[in-house]
Amino acid sequence: MARLLLKFESEVVKEVPLSSRPVTIGRAPDNDIPIDNLAVSNYHARVYSEAGCLVIEDLDSLNGTFVNEMRVERATLKDGDSIAVGKHHILVDQAHDTALPLDAFHKAPVPKVQETMVLDTKQQRDLMQSVAAMGERSQIAPGRVRVPTLVVLAGRTDRKEYVLTDRLTVIGKSNLASIKLRGWFAPAMAAQIHKHDDGYFLGRGDRIPRINGEPISHPTRLSDGDLIEVGRVRLNFLYRD
Amino acid sequence: MQIISGARTDVGRVRKNNEDSYRTDADLHLYVLSDGMGGEASGEVASALAVETVIEHCRLAAKNPGLELVGERKEELSDATNRLASALRSANQTIFETASGNTDQKGMGATIVAAWLNERRLSIAHVGDSRIYMLRAGSFDQITADHSLVADLVRSGIMTPQQAEVSEQQSILTRALGTKAKVEVDADEQLLLEGDTILLCSDGLTRMVTDPEIASILETNPDPQKAADRLVELANENGGHDNVTVIVVHLAPEARGLWATLRRWFGGDS
Repeated sequence: MARLLLKFESEVVKEVPLSSRPVTIGRAPDNDIPIDNLAVSNYHARVYSEAGCLVIEDLDSLNGTFVNEMRVERATLKDGDSIAVGKHHILVDQAHDTALPLDAFHKAPVPKVQETMVLDTKQQRDLMQSVAAMGERSQIAPGRVRVPTLVVLAGRTDRKEYVLTDRLTVIGKSNLASIKLRGWFAPAMAAQIHKHDDGYFLGRGDRIPRINGEPISHPTRLSDGDLIEVGRVRLNFLYRD
Repeated sequence: MQIISGARTDVGRVRKNNEDSYRTDADLHLYVLSDGMGGEASGEVASALAVETVIEHCRLAAKNPGLELVGERKEELSDATNRLASALRSANQTIFETASGNTDQKGMGATIVAAWLNERRLSIAHVGDSRIYMLRAGSFDQITADHSLVADLVRSGIMTPQQAEVSEQQSILTRALGTKAKVEVDADEQLLLEGDTILLCSDGLTRMVTDPEIASILETNPDPQKAADRLVELANENGGHDNVTVIVVHLAPEARGLWATLRRWFGGDS
């Protein structure tokens, strides 16, 4: 059974199982997930299932609904997605879920296949398109492009601010690095930032960087406002409007 | 840092032909693997064309960096990664044109995975359901996303990974080289660390051997050739239902100590 977990500062404060009925989120007490916080609108957002997919819709809230740091008006949700409403986070948990039945797929006359084949008939292509359309995240935020930026707070670098545009950004002294460290003892390739579909991930290089004081153990997704320390350099990760 | 590699291909225990191909270029640190498909012997033709074309395109570009790119350049990727993606698109054209000009080979196609190391930046590109994995400090992760129907269904939450593993639709690809005039290539890059191991493999490995088993073989065999041999053996022991091909690349730590340092200083091997 899929469920939504309401979290506040890493504590799970409420658990809401999902059924065919929509789940509403907002400041008013008659919501399924009431959140008593001024940053939350009375009727802020709702979660419901549509064509076998879980969908979140922002109800014209003042401060917006964010899925994995991206502001959304309407988006499909998948297991592990994090919805931010005000200072609260709602985690989508489908881990123990059996897959959602999709009639279109199960009824599609797909033969048992021994040899590898490439999807080619019109029907199968249509099927893929409908699947792709459901998986797509609609990020409709006209006029609001959020630019991932690193601001240098301390340490010797070639610039004071960097906009992340590349798939791979290397921090170090090497000529591969686009965030150039200065100084005799600066590491050649201290750390790396990798752009994924769902955000920017900080990974280790020759050094293990820290995020908000904690050394990372694996590539970690950066959140707006995170403080990064690599060697003697301190950087602030921001999504600028 | 020393880059060492090993590779092995095998027909498996069930099939009559080996339709997989691989090529490596030790000077360029370029590794390419392809799984062919099509009637008669055309799968073998497609996969061999695929790996040859990719290696040749990158070799030409190494001599002549001005060589025109096939397809569009992506600004967010480095020159090397753009070159590798271009090589895959070139392979697509070659297979498609060969197939169009020859009725026996109509409809032939191939998957492809390619990895290219420049200093410590790894460029990868792929089409289809052959995979690249990375083993780093005990964690073993697939760093390519399969272009298959079941993978798409898992990504959109319609199917669980467990259902995908036993699905009868596992062999349906959503992209392949050579079946259309143009193909969309996925390309990516990352920084490698000393001790990392990269694995390129065809689905004949991953359908027969579980990820934890693969990781454990890579961890216990620091010699990439021994790891490659052991992976293929295990795929066959578990049934060998398909052709199986693996390339293992390991970034071995540089020998340390006074003697190694002196050798490096005085221009020995490095």
